[in-house]
Amino acid sequence: MRSARGKAWVLWSMVILVLVTLALPTLVIIGASFTSGDIIRFPPEGLSLRWYRALWDLGGFRAALGRTAYVSALCTLIAIPVGTLAALALARRRMRFARTIQVYLLLPFTIPLVVSGISMMMLFGEARVLGQLWPVGVALCLINLPFMIWAVSSAVNALDPELENAAMNCGAPPVTVFLTVTLPAVMPGVITGALLMFILAFNEFLVSLFLTDSRTVTLPVQIYNSIRNVITPDLAAVSVVYIVVALAAIWVLDRLVGLEIFLKSK
Amino acid sequence: MTPMVELDNVTRRFGDTAAVREASARLERGEFLTILGPSGCGKTTLLRMIAGFDRPSAGRILINGQAIDAVPPFRRSIGMVFQRLALFPHMTAAENVAYPLKMRRFDPAEIPERVERYLELVRLKGFGSRRPHEMSGGQQQRVAIARALSFSPDLLLLDEPLSALDRKLREEMQLEFRRIQQELGVTTINVTHDQREALVMSDRVVVMDAGRIQQADTPAAVYRQPSNRFVASFIGMTTVFPGMVAEAPEGIGEIIVGDVRLPARLPAGGLAPGTAVDCGLRAEQVRVVAPGAPRPETTIGGLVERRIFEGDRLVYEVRVPPLGNLTLMVFDHDPATHAEHEVGARVLLGWNARDLFVFPKETTENATRQETGPAS
Ligand SMILES: Nc1ncnc2c1ncn2[C@@H]1O[C@H](COP(=O)(O)OP(=O)(O)OP(=O)(O)O)[C@@H](O)[C@H]1O
Ligand SMILES: [Mg+2]
Repeated sequence: MRSARGKAWVLWSMVILVLVTLALPTLVIIGASFTSGDIIRFPPEGLSLRWYRALWDLGGFRAALGRTAYVSALCTLIAIPVGTLAALALARRRMRFARTIQVYLLLPFTIPLVVSGISMMMLFGEARVLGQLWPVGVALCLINLPFMIWAVSSAVNALDPELENAAMNCGAPPVTVFLTVTLPAVMPGVITGALLMFILAFNEFLVSLFLTDSRTVTLPVQIYNSIRNVITPDLAAVSVVYIVVALAAIWVLDRLVGLEIFLKSK
Repeated sequence: MTPMVELDNVTRRFGDTAAVREASARLERGEFLTILGPSGCGKTTLLRMIAGFDRPSAGRILINGQAIDAVPPFRRSIGMVFQRLALFPHMTAAENVAYPLKMRRFDPAEIPERVERYLELVRLKGFGSRRPHEMSGGQQQRVAIARALSFSPDLLLLDEPLSALDRKLREEMQLEFRRIQQELGVTTINVTHDQREALVMSDRVVVMDAGRIQQADTPAAVYRQPSNRFVASFIGMTTVFPGMVAEAPEGIGEIIVGDVRLPARLPAGGLAPGTAVDCGLRAEQVRVVAPGAPRPETTIGGLVERRIFEGDRLVYEVRVPPLGNLTLMVFDHDPATHAEHEVGARVLLGWNARDLFVFPKETTENATRQETGPAS
């Protein structure tokens, strides 16, 4: 009994420690963004929305935000069908190139993004599409697709293949089985993967740096450009925008799938 | 009349092992057939082939006299309760039951009423809006049963549909199932390794072992006239022991076991004297003969070695020195009306000659197959 309580105590202290460590930078940046002073610091000097205003008034920022949203949406829209079908095919069919594809799934950890960025710049330059915005979306989808496939694969692997047999036994032809049983069952994975893709694309910097120019600059690249000049509290405000986007994604996830699916197995 | 289902030498191999070997059987319309056998003997494999999820490596399956190789599962009018249930997790119980109705284009106006009726049939009235993970194992099993029945299939396949229920509910559901089946007249193949369930529910029982059909007969015949040693020992609690044919006239002959000759019913066709045989004696057919009571045809003395209380009966293990120190199991179904025998007590055992089963010794190939068959 006592040891159980002791264990719980140790566990809780560790959880709190981890939470604080994880949350601290975020809290600091949120605090700093509300400063009314001219330099970025914590605790802030006075409270104001001054730097949010400044951010909003900055013409470049709004355009960059819009472009980033467009690129992320495009990347997500491509990733959903491609990633879902790829994950299903990987899990269900004995494929001849299964090995190759597994290696591909590890690429995000093995190939530096600089390399991907340069090679895609060359590729798109060759295809004469560099300077447009949509190739950036496609590129982000390409480099992050493994995450989508992973998310869906975990749902597919948890799916009992007998369910599809049961559906067939109920009289459903293969396409209907896919639409009414397979797809709903892997939906949590698809939604998770889609949001992951959106967030990753929203944050992606290095590859975007290679593929954008002053007319197509996206938010992360824009931030980088302004850091090179001076660090002002509007950067903290941008960070808060990012945090808000991430929180929104988690909220959407919770509404659509239910966070408990991620926190415990069904 | 053509049988509803006919298995014609069906074999299914996985790699170099065969899950089903040369199975042939017929199932008449409206019949309730139970496949009984130990774990891993190929019951599920057989059902999956009939449902169309799997194909025989050799042999044919006919439904209504038609070979069904080319008919995909969703065009077969077969309801199935899966061993792992396979309820759709994202649908409620009612949606699960309605699914086959939608897929088979039932009149949408008729569906809710039908769903309601079948949920009621499996005693799940009021549970329609629950998801499978919000129900107990037994409730889930009953949803699966309702789903398989709701579209009035020509053929119903049950893969251990009652295994998750407690004993009382299981026994109730066995009778209930029988009632539903007779009421709807649906031809049914049930799979189980519970011999009681097989005997209670079925018109006919197919006993399988190691992928082979050992016997296909009425429950009474499977119980009273097991066709081989496996069937005899799988159904009931049977002591099997070796013997040798002494005398073999038609009908009742004599078997030498240990130092004595026991009268026994010999298999049809008879056996030559001197043939080595396996004998089987069911615990429920051996009695402890009270002094002064009428004697059965065969009696022999023994020593009580163990006594096990099982509630509705007592089980004695009795060592019988004249039978080569064989230990026989004996049931006493009514221990309240007379004295119990203590361990070490001398008792007189008795049985009738026709209750001593005799089977020719199985060939070594057969014997090793039974011992090294798929682990259960
Ligand atoms: N897909 C498969 N691949 C390889 N072997 C298989 C496969 N399916 C079944 N088997 C083997 O075939 C044999 C019969 O399996 P089956 O599932 O039909 O048994 P069962 O009689 O239904 O047993 P239980 O009562 O445990 O459900 C087993 O030895 C099993 O290991
Ligand atoms: Mg099975």
